[in-house]
Amino acid sequence: MDFSQLNDADRQRMQQMLERNQMRDFMRMYSSLVQRCFDSCVDDFTSKALSTKEDGCLMRCTEKFMKHSERVGQRFAELNTALMEEQSAQGQK
Amino acid sequence: MNFGGMFGGAGASGVSAQQSSAQLMMAEQEIEMVTDLYNRVSDSCHAKCIPPTYHESDLNKGESVCLDRCVAKFFETNKKIGAKLQEISQQNQATQQPGVGLFG
Repeated sequence: MDFSQLNDADRQRMQQMLERNQMRDFMRMYSSLVQRCFDSCVDDFTSKALSTKEDGCLMRCTEKFMKHSERVGQRFAELNTALMEEQSAQGQK
Repeated sequence: MNFGGMFGGAGASGVSAQQSSAQLMMAEQEIEMVTDLYNRVSDSCHAKCIPPTYHESDLNKGESVCLDRCVAKFFETNKKIGAKLQEISQQNQATQQPGVGLFG
């Protein structure tokens, strides 16, 4: 992102906001991932420890989610860039 | 309000302190909106494309293609509905029904 137009105080504020958001988004992703993988993988309550099967499922669920995020992120970035370009072209008309 | 695209950039150059703060607020809002859109796309497409049986940790071919199409379709849906809402609100404005023009 281009902050070159901002003054120093605003640039700092922007930086702080981005860091806050990053932290918030990570915590949100973490808790939703725990819920998602728990719901999909853990359904045997005959023991209080995770079974080998459940453990494996949780690891695969997490890895797969990260790959999912990466792929969706790539497509999202492409399409969002196209959308923004389309809009700024419209705005200039 | 423009529904077809919600992320109009704040593009100006050579700005005063006041303009700068206004730009900052717009940038913040834009980031919030894009983040929210991303989260919704990610959740929807995960639910639709990734079956909750984790036999493997890789995305297989079918899942990958599904995700690509899902993201594209979500954007298209966003655009379609935005245009439709705008059309409806313009119709309402044209027929002079006060109070109905929800999105003016």
